[in-house]
Amino acid sequence: MSKKKAAGTAKVHKKPLGIRIWNNRGFYVMLLPVLVFLIIMHYWPMLGIRYAFYDYKPVGEPVFVGMKHFNKLFSAPPFWTAFWNTLELSIIKLVITTVASVVVSILLNEMGNLLAKKILQTVIYLPHFMSWVVTASIFSLFLSPSATGMVNGMLRDWGILTDDMKNIYFLGDSHWWRPVYYVINIWKETGWGTIVSLATLSGINPELYEAADIDGATRFQKMRYVTLPALANTIITVLILNLAKVMNLFESVFVLYNDAVRDVSDVVATYIYRQTFMVALPNYGYSTAVGLFRSLVGCILVLVCNWLSKKVRGRGIV
Amino acid sequence: MKKKLLSILLATAMVATMAGCGDKTPADSSSASSSVADTQATAPAEPYNLETLTMVVNGTLTASVENRQDAFEEQWEAAVSEKIGHKIDLVIQQQDHSGYVDAVGRIFAGGDLPDVILMSADMYAQYAPTGILWDMTEAYENAEFQSRIELKSVNEAMKIDGKLYGFAPATGNGCVTWVKKSWMDAVGVKAEDITNWDAYYDMLTKFTTEDPDGNGKNDTYGVAAAGFVGFEAPYINYLPEFWQDAYPAFVQDDNGVWYDGFNTDATKQALLRLQKAYNDGVIDPESLTMGTKDVRTKYWSADQAGSFGAFTYWAGKWEQTVYDNFETNGVNTELVTLAPLAEVGAYLNREAPVWCIIDDGDGDNSREQAVFDAFIETMLDGDTVQMLWTYGAEGVHWSTAAETVTLKGKDGKEDTVKEYTEGQFHLLPSPNDPTTAWKSNAIDPSLVIAPLTNGISSVTDIAAKGNIFFSEHSVQAPKSASSETLTNEGGTLNDLKTEVITEVVTKNGDVDQWMSYYDEQSKSLVETILAELNQ
Amino acid sequence: MGRKRKKIKIFPIVNYALFILIALMIMVPIWKVIVDSLDAVGVYQFRFWPNKPTLKGYEVILTTKALFRPFVNSIISTVLGTLLGLILSTLGGYVLIQFDMPGRNFFSYMILFTMIFSGGMIPEYLVMKQLGLVNNLMVVVLKHGMNVYNLVLMRNFFEGIPQGLFEAARIDGCSPMGIFFKIVLPLSKAALASIGLMFAVGAWNDYTTVKIYITDPDQTNFQYKLRNLIMDGDTPNTQYAIAQNTLFNAAVMSAIIPFMIVYPFLQKYFVKGVNIGAVKE
Repeated sequence: MSKKKAAGTAKVHKKPLGIRIWNNRGFYVMLLPVLVFLIIMHYWPMLGIRYAFYDYKPVGEPVFVGMKHFNKLFSAPPFWTAFWNTLELSIIKLVITTVASVVVSILLNEMGNLLAKKILQTVIYLPHFMSWVVTASIFSLFLSPSATGMVNGMLRDWGILTDDMKNIYFLGDSHWWRPVYYVINIWKETGWGTIVSLATLSGINPELYEAADIDGATRFQKMRYVTLPALANTIITVLILNLAKVMNLFESVFVLYNDAVRDVSDVVATYIYRQTFMVALPNYGYSTAVGLFRSLVGCILVLVCNWLSKKVRGRGIV
Repeated sequence: MKKKLLSILLATAMVATMAGCGDKTPADSSSASSSVADTQATAPAEPYNLETLTMVVNGTLTASVENRQDAFEEQWEAAVSEKIGHKIDLVIQQQDHSGYVDAVGRIFAGGDLPDVILMSADMYAQYAPTGILWDMTEAYENAEFQSRIELKSVNEAMKIDGKLYGFAPATGNGCVTWVKKSWMDAVGVKAEDITNWDAYYDMLTKFTTEDPDGNGKNDTYGVAAAGFVGFEAPYINYLPEFWQDAYPAFVQDDNGVWYDGFNTDATKQALLRLQKAYNDGVIDPESLTMGTKDVRTKYWSADQAGSFGAFTYWAGKWEQTVYDNFETNGVNTELVTLAPLAEVGAYLNREAPVWCIIDDGDGDNSREQAVFDAFIETMLDGDTVQMLWTYGAEGVHWSTAAETVTLKGKDGKEDTVKEYTEGQFHLLPSPNDPTTAWKSNAIDPSLVIAPLTNGISSVTDIAAKGNIFFSEHSVQAPKSASSETLTNEGGTLNDLKTEVITEVVTKNGDVDQWMSYYDEQSKSLVETILAELNQ
Repeated sequence: MGRKRKKIKIFPIVNYALFILIALMIMVPIWKVIVDSLDAVGVYQFRFWPNKPTLKGYEVILTTKALFRPFVNSIISTVLGTLLGLILSTLGGYVLIQFDMPGRNFFSYMILFTMIFSGGMIPEYLVMKQLGLVNNLMVVVLKHGMNVYNLVLMRNFFEGIPQGLFEAARIDGCSPMGIFFKIVLPLSKAALASIGLMFAVGAWNDYTTVKIYITDPDQTNFQYKLRNLIMDGDTPNTQYAIAQNTLFNAAVMSAIIPFMIVYPFLQKYFVKGVNIGAVKE
């Protein structure tokens, strides 16, 4: 564990570097295949990052243009709206779907009946397999403001919407769009998110529960003092890993947003999509620059959270 | 902590050094095609011996692999080899219909250049100035089919500064408005009375309030569309009755001077019409969020609650598709095609996609001319090859043999059996669907610029009638503007326009206030673009 | 004592009620897809039962020859992608918990770095082209096999294995490879099952890689073909012997069904204490 390493005294007793490398030779060999794939699949294409500073089109040679693409990006006010929207939507979405999946997996773990548990597990994974396009068309149908919209119909039946009120346009109203977006995300990804937590839970030593039982712990005390701490490491790792992808938010927003709610829903990727929509001769330099910007933001978020995690609980994710 | 930092630095340095090594410039565009040229360009005086021809095409080549592309390819090779006097091999690279622009970009960036490529009007306008497309003006003027072209204007419109870099074998087609006949009958409206805006709007109102589907509830709409304005030219084509003479993009006036069509009184009036319709509930509010697929499904849904009466969509094949879906879903109605309202004048014909020949840049035209002769010249030969492009492969997609053709019945309905005599042209069942007859291949027979000379036509079905109706009631859409700033900043302008439109239409915004907002925000950008366009 | 018993009785009831509610909320939207896939007529609205029940949508999918090859391709790329993914992520994850190994931090960051930074689509395309992977199904295998996110997760699971076991094995003279096979893998069944599932589903659902790298119809996968089937609605000439809507929804369901068949076999690895059991054996 990292604690061992962190202890300053350990350094003094360490053997010479050469011997330590020799002692670990088996591990280097085992890492080799990973490194080979990593270099071929990731590092080699990374040479292309330099195009962020080029005009690079399908036809003709790349031309160096310095910071042109970044200047263009940063000088547009809608970009900054989109940037803050991206952070807000992604992070809130990440946190609530993670919390939801942890809660669901703990409750699922407490379920006694094996058959019910198995059926439920299968059911809650299903939405993950629906593409966003399909998901969006189903939810638009349910949330429709027209006379056939189910949710509006139910609100009327229950008297929440009275006769003098118009149907709610859930996806076309800035007040409603974000909550609805989060709900749809919870619907789609909570189940899938439980996979990792459930695998972690199955690794908890049953003796811990037995010991807690002997101490007379209640069900909730066991959840609080045995289950949750065991999950914490996994949850934090997953959260931090996902922070790297925060700026990549696209498809779920793209299929659900529209012109009327752009102020609350436009994200960087959708903004760039509209910006380049009319471009039939794409400038890969621009898209690389956008990609690099996204990566830098992701990088900062990961490093900051990793540092926080180290401060608070003495360990990061690597 | 220092160590961690060092590790990050090392990892970064590794990338940097790798980048420093430098790889070959990937966009080495001429190498792939010129290698072919090098081996072949031994005797420039003699006609170029083109042995393989690679074409890149999108989904419009309906003879896809699943639909017996092999037969199309084989028959094309046989027919063209005979015409040009030596064997030629056709390689078809069919890309997805969606994302075609990206796929073409990758092909070019990857350096494997094809010989011919299909491009939309937008792509054409942006690729032509790069010099990668061959100037085919001369070849086009001297083409054998010149004398038979009936619609000369189509390719004239594609010329850039008098030069033609791409060839359109057919006009671009456009949208017409259909109305459900049963709904008209239900609310007592006659098609011939719908000649102006007031009558049209009155009909829409009745569709909304007088329960045309007869389910006892007021849950229908007059009209619906995927968005209040389209993404692509000609932007207004899904709601022409509302936009009328407004054209919210850069257009040329009678003197050829460009101006911003959004910042006009006509657009303001159009927005007011949309606003009224939205407030009256005559236009389906979901037009804001629906895609074209949602609109179509809603139109022909088996349950007509929530559906709508007037639908503007692509003339021709789509009309047939709407009928087919009505039939499958048991929607019992015919479609009435509305003639353009007095205020509309005519429907809009969009700019046509074109076939372009790639210039290998070696200064010698013989290879490109050979590609033209083999590919474009034969495409409109009026006979064998044109038949391939129009209807597909003989004996697979169509036939003139004496035979009995059985179309399998849908859902246990009876088969349709038809007898044909020798020499009688008929379409065969689709290779991937034995219940429907094949319709046509890449070129629509009723949109082609030079008709078949062999007397064959299938102008009896709904699609062909629709196309003819359209060509009689349409004009060419305004030429799309193309300038560098417009290409790069068009997205910003579009955002501004859609913001104004949604604010006015769906949020009851004051039209004057929002139009001046647009004017303020767009001023400098519009001025730059107009300066580029009008230079 | 009595109080406590009461609590225990209430909890399962609440828990079951909650899950019935959750299951209902999840199933209602999916029910729309299921009903639509079984209805011969296309209906825009929601209803509980098909107007005109039919299995034709599934029949068309099963009998469309053009879908069979992609289905086989999907199975191949999913199996190979999962195997490669598990090999690389377990090897990588195992090495990264060797805190005494010189350069461990460097390698960790080097691996993590690729999760955040990428060369972008075109450079990746050009590299794959040079490797001969354009129009080659193996590109899907490689893209999914090398997944840093899963590697780090795997490492995280490995970290939970008691250190004492490693020490004991080392003293017994076990090589790193021996420890890997005798201790790490048997102790991580749940991790292998869940991360393997993530690899498999990722490869199975893959559409973008195919869209970018593959144009040869013989090399495409099922998911891609289904999407195209759906998108065909935009080119009116492609008709199938069934309402578009029916086919569309049957296609969506067809992509889920293989998972529903495979999943129950994996479920036994998600049971409490499965890993600990392995040690005692």
